[in-house]
Order: sequence, then structure tokens, then C-alpha cells
Amino acid sequence: MRCEQVKSLLNEYCEGSLSEAMRERVEAHLRGCAACQREARFVQAIWRGLAAMPEVAPPPDLHARITTYVRANTRAREALGRVAFWRWAGAAAVAAGLFIMGFFAAQSDGVQAAFGFGAKSKPSVQAPQPVQAGVFLEYRTTADGARIPVLEARMNREATAELRYAPDAKTEPIVVWSGRLQPAKTVEIPLQTLLHTSGERVLTLRWTLEGQSRVLYVPAGYPPAKLASLRLQAKLGDALRQLASAYQTPIEWVPNGEEPLVVLDVQDATLEDALQKLLIGSNYTLKRHGGFWRVVSR
Amino acid sequence: MSIYDYSSDEVLIERFKEGDEFAFDLLVRRYEQKVYQLAYRLTGNPDDAADVAAEAFLRMYNSLKRFRGDAQLSTWLYRVVSNVFFDFRKREARHKHLSLDVPAEGDDEPYELPIEDERVDIMGHALQEEQKRVLMEAIQQLPEYQRVMVVLFHIEERPYEEIAQIMGLPLGTIKSRLNRARNALRQLLEPYRELFGVEASPTFGVPQEASDAL
Repeated sequence: MRCEQVKSLLNEYCEGSLSEAMRERVEAHLRGCAACQREARFVQAIWRGLAAMPEVAPPPDLHARITTYVRANTRAREALGRVAFWRWAGAAAVAAGLFIMGFFAAQSDGVQAAFGFGAKSKPSVQAPQPVQAGVFLEYRTTADGARIPVLEARMNREATAELRYAPDAKTEPIVVWSGRLQPAKTVEIPLQTLLHTSGERVLTLRWTLEGQSRVLYVPAGYPPAKLASLRLQAKLGDALRQLASAYQTPIEWVPNGEEPLVVLDVQDATLEDALQKLLIGSNYTLKRHGGFWRVVSR
Repeated sequence: MSIYDYSSDEVLIERFKEGDEFAFDLLVRRYEQKVYQLAYRLTGNPDDAADVAAEAFLRMYNSLKRFRGDAQLSTWLYRVVSNVFFDFRKREARHKHLSLDVPAEGDDEPYELPIEDERVDIMGHALQEEQKRVLMEAIQQLPEYQRVMVVLFHIEERPYEEIAQIMGLPLGTIKSRLNRARNALRQLLEPYRELFGVEASPTFGVPQEASDAL
């Protein structure tokens, strides 16, 4: 075998993919040819060098860069016929500024039915109606009967909003959703995966709308419990989280900068009773919207 | 972080198809590292690599609904990254011709030797670093297709069958192209033989009568 021939077979030889007969012929040549031996060592050294290339550290903002780019270049999903999710609750019209309200599907479904809005309704037709703005907790029923929690965000004017989730206080919150809310468009943010993957009974979500934030405690289960017994001593946020878990009911908290230490000891109490007792002596009070409790400044 | 470790790719893809944006975010987190590695090997710089990665995930976002699971998601993503890389190169008006003699940008900073371990083979370590740099630059000089072949097979260590899927080419074509790519790489590295512990061989290439007989 000639050097040129051997040289042309070195890749396959080093890889071990030559037939046995060919391999023997190449080896016979290599035994007597220092130049080809060197060449084989060279090939092997190159391959070893390639295989040993270390992983490079990605830039720290890689994830943010990817998600920002994807968001900037995809049409917002709400543009794709989310009209079907418009639900109006005239009674809960808002006064001014920013609002977060939650409903249970049973109630908002009822409202939808009462108004008779279907998928074909156009926002322009509904324009004279008092427009709601804010974030709504909804449960959608899938084909197999499971209830999936979703957050719906809609505004009566353009606003920048962001939803963050942190599994605990030490972890940097993950942006679950961010974007601009447009008038007459609803954004739906499914929470099922978040609940499923976090493995938590209650998600702590922080909504930021135009720079102001609200905390939303979203329990994984459904339906809500009527009565519960609780004994706790905790900071307000933690206490509300425990209540949301015990009653399987979302609670919204509008922090005013104070997070008092609260104590609670109730037996077979309703959520309203428990919350009222919890807030005694604090600068917070309780407001109700539909089946949903908000803890706000007095 | 463990919050995204539970669901399989298939479950997350299904959720995403149902409109769950967070599922997409989890998929990005799961694969961004891999995607970036490949993009970096192909483009040779962190900035372009991040751009390629972002574009690859955008294409994933737009086409995941049509993903039928014929291939592994990672294989499919590798394919997307390769295509994005080809497109980027096509768009690039200018072709940077890096010289192997000139250190790449940022490489002129003083090299910091690890001092905590005196037994470290300083020369050997410096040589290895130099070898990596030369290898990386040689890869960047390969034509795009050859580059993808070499990176996928030798660095990412993907099997032939998967590379065939990634490139959408028959196995035989992959093998012959990889062979050409390896030879081209060897030629590019010819002036740096000593870095690979192989002494220069000035007579090689000239037919040697003595060995011809064997």
C-alpha cells in the first residue's frame, strides 16, 4: 500500500470503520513508515483536541435575550382570536387606575351566559359597556373535565404589565409573562404548568402593572373550601398564602409597604371570618369582588 | 433550579400547543445551554452565538405547533440551529478571514496561570490553551457545511444517524462529507503540528520509495 492510499484511509482507520482486511493492510504499512505513523498520530491528536473542547459559559443574560427576542418577533397570542374569552361583569366596573380582580369560573361563566356573549362578539359592539381592567383568575374546563387555572389580563387602556413568580423568597423571580396590554384585547396566561412544575399548593405571583405591583396567591386545587381551622403566627404575606392554601381560594394582596406580624387561631371558620380576624389591628382591610378577597390599605 | 425538571418534552410541547407560554419558557431553559454551545462552535463568538440561539428559539416558537415528534426535540433543535447558522452566513455580506497567526480578539489579555496548585504543568496547560484556540479558529475557516459536520461529530459527539437527521441528508453523504471536512481541517492545522505533539514532517507528502514497497 502506498503512502497516499494510507493517507486517504487514515480517517476511517482512526475511527475504526475499516474492514478487517483493510485495517491489516494499513497497519502493515504503518509499522514500516514513520511519516504515516506521524500522520495517524496527528489525526488522533486533532480528534482528541476536538473532543476535549470545554463547554463555554453562556452569557448571563442569554435567557432574557432569547425570550425578549422571541416576544418581540411573535405576534402576541391575544391577537389570535381571543375575543372568545371576553367576559364582562358590569357590576364590577372599576373607577380609576389599576385594578386586579378575580372571579371563579362559576360566577363569571354565569355573567357571560347572562349577557349572552359568544365567540363572535366584537369589542366594538360592546364598547358602551363599562370596561373592566385588570387581572382575573379563571378556571377553564378542558375536554376531559379537568379545570385549568388561567390568568386573564385585560385593560381599558394600554398598559405595561409583568407577571413574576418566585418559588421562594431567596430565588430570583421568573418572568412568566410580560408585555403591553391593549384595550379590547385579552391575554390569557395558563397557570397549569407553573402549578404542576412548581409542585406547590399555592403559587405566589406578583403582578406589576405600570410599575405598581400586587401579590396574588393562587391555590392549585379546586373547588374552594367553605370552612377551615387554622393556627398561625406569621408575616402577613405568609399568612395570606396559608389561608389561600387552606381554603383553596385565591387571595389578592395589595401591599402598602407594611407587612405586619399577624396571629390567627380559628376553628371551622369561613375565609371571611379568618381574614377579618387576621387583619385586626393592622392597616389593612378586606374587600370583596365576586367570590374573591382582596386585602388592601385602609 | 428544579422547578422545570418534572415534565417531559412531550408534555411541555402539548401544553405549549394549548397556549401555555410558560411551557415554552421551560423548554427554552431546558435547551438554551445546548443550543448556545452549538451556536458558539459554529459562529466562533459569543455575540453571534446568542443571536443564532435567539433566532433558533423563535423558529421553534413558530413551528413547534407542527412538531410531530418524529425526532427528538434536541435533534430537531440542532437542525434549526444549523439552518439559522447557514442563513446568518448567507446574510453576512462580509466574510471575516481570521488568520491563525493573529490572536483572536480578547486573547491578548495576560494569561492567568492557576497558582493554587504548583504541580500544574504550566507549559502543558499553555499549550493546551493554544491548541484549543487554534482548533477553534481552524473550525471557523472551514466551509459552513464542513464546519457543521466537524462540530456535530467531533465536539458534540452526535452519532452519524442523528447527524443525517439533523442535516436531512443520507448517511453515505454524511460520511463522505465528514471525511472531506476532516481532511480540510487537517490541512488547516498543518502549520501547527507541534501543538498536537507531532513533529513537523517536511518530507511527508513527497512519495517515499522505501515505504511504497510495504
